[in-house]
Amino acid sequence: MIDLGLFLFIAALLLLGIRRPFVWVLAYIYIDTLEPQDIGWRLVASMPVSLIAFCAAFGGWLLADPRHGARMALRQWLLVILLAWCALTTANADFPAEAAYKWGWVWKALLFAIFVPLTITTRLRFEAVVLTMVLTAGAIIINGGIKTATGGGGYGVLHLFVDNNTGMYESSTIATVAIAIIPLILWAMKHGTVFPPDWRVNTFGYALIFACLLMPIGTEARTGLLCMAVLGVLMLRYVKRRFLYIGAAAALGVVALPFLPQSWYARMSTLDSAEEDTSASTRMAVWRWTIDYANSHPMGGGFDAYRGNKFTYKLPVRTESGNTSSVRLEDHTDQARAYHSAIFEMLGEQGWPGLFLWLWIHGLGLWQMERIRRRWRSRTAADQQWQAPLALALQCAQIIYLVGSLFQGIAYQPFILTLIGVQCALWTWCKLADSPRRSRARRPARAPAGDAVTAGEPALR
Amino acid sequence: MIDLFSLALAHGLLLLMVLRLMGRDDLDRDPPPPAPDAKPEPGE
Repeated sequence: MIDLGLFLFIAALLLLGIRRPFVWVLAYIYIDTLEPQDIGWRLVASMPVSLIAFCAAFGGWLLADPRHGARMALRQWLLVILLAWCALTTANADFPAEAAYKWGWVWKALLFAIFVPLTITTRLRFEAVVLTMVLTAGAIIINGGIKTATGGGGYGVLHLFVDNNTGMYESSTIATVAIAIIPLILWAMKHGTVFPPDWRVNTFGYALIFACLLMPIGTEARTGLLCMAVLGVLMLRYVKRRFLYIGAAAALGVVALPFLPQSWYARMSTLDSAEEDTSASTRMAVWRWTIDYANSHPMGGGFDAYRGNKFTYKLPVRTESGNTSSVRLEDHTDQARAYHSAIFEMLGEQGWPGLFLWLWIHGLGLWQMERIRRRWRSRTAADQQWQAPLALALQCAQIIYLVGSLFQGIAYQPFILTLIGVQCALWTWCKLADSPRRSRARRPARAPAGDAVTAGEPALR
Repeated sequence: MIDLFSLALAHGLLLLMVLRLMGRDDLDRDPPPPAPDAKPEPGE
C-alpha cells in the first residue's frame, strides 16, 4: 500500500509538472530528500525516479520556464569549481572504485545546488521550496518523533522507514537536519501564503518543531544535543523578550529531564569524557592522520581516501574490582576509519584547495545572509517583510549544520547543498530587487522633497 | 501504522501545497510592487 501510494504521489507530481514545470524541481527535492525508492520495494524501486525527476526539472526549466531573473551568483561558480575539482581528484583517487561510487552521488548533489537557484526566481517559489524541504524531511521527523514519544528510540535503534543508516536516515544527520530546519518552519508559519498563518498551521508547525526536538533524543546522537544548544543560542536573535525566553527554555529543560530515558543520559555523559570514549579517540586519531596526509598530499586523495589510514593510539581502559577502579592505557589499532568531520573529509579527499573552496562557499553564505538581513529588516512595504526573516532562517540553519558537520562527514549532504542553493537564489533575488531598474519601478514618478533621506539602500554587491 | 501515518500526513500536505501552487500566477512572476501606502502583511 505504501509502495502504491508513493508511486501515485510521484506520478501525480510528474503529471502536474506538465502544467507548471517548477513542480518538477520540487519533485526532485522531494525524491532526493526522502529517497522513496528505498522505502517502496516494487513499483517505485524499479524505476530511476531520481533521474526522471532531474531530467524533467532541467528540461522543464530549459524549455518552458520564463527564466526571469535567473542569474549565476558567485557561490554557484564556486560550486562549479568545486565540482570540477572533485572530478579531478576522483580521476587521481587513491581508491578509484570507492571514489567513483561516491562521485556517483556527489556530482548530482553539487549540480543540483548549482542549478536550483536558477529556478527560484519568485517569492512563491522560495516558499514552495522551503515547504517541500520542511515537509519532506518532516515525514522522516514526524515518524521518528512519534516513535521516540512512544518509546521506540535509542542509539542505532530508532527505525526510520528504511533499514539502511545512510544519507538523511543516518541518525546524527537526521538529528542535525531536524534542528537546522526549525528556523525554516518558523519562517513558513509566519510568512506563508500557500498555507497562510492560522490555528491549523500553528498547531502543525509547533507539533513538527516538537518532533524535530525529539530527534536528538530519539537517535541519541550527541551531535544533535550540540545542535540543540546552538539553536538555543541562535534563537536569542529571534525573540523579543530575551530574559523571558531564557527563563522559559531553562524551565522547559528542567521539566523535560525526568522524561528522558536512562540510555540517553548514559550516551550524553560520554560527551565530556572524550579520553575514555573509543569513538572520540578514533576521531582525534583520524583527524591527526588527515592533517599529516594533507601535508604530504596537498591536492587530496580523492573520495574515500580515509580507507588508507591505519594508526595505533593509546586508549584508556577502566577496570573495577570491588571498591577500587583503575585506568590503564592499552594500544588500540584501527584502520580505514571514516573522517567523522566535514572539515577533515574535505581536507583528506579534496586537499587544501577543496577545503578552502568549501569554507569559502559556506563563509560567503553566512556573510550574504547577514547582509540581506541587515538591509531588509527595516523596510516597511507589504512585499518586503519576508526577505530578512528568510535570510536569518537560512543563516541559522546553516550555522546549525556547520556545527553538526564538525563531527560528521556530511560535507556534500544533498539536503544542505539544496539549502545553499536557496541562499544563492535569495542573494540573486534581493540583488535584482535592489537593482536600479526595479527600484525605479517601485519609486513614485515624481520624488517628493527630501527623497535623499528616504531613498532605498544601494544594491547588494 | 506510524510509518503510514507520517507518510500520509506529509504527502497529503505536499500534494495540497502543489495543488494550491497550480492556480497561482505569482509562481512564475512576482506581482508588481503594491502602492507605497499599502499596509504590511498580517502578522508583522
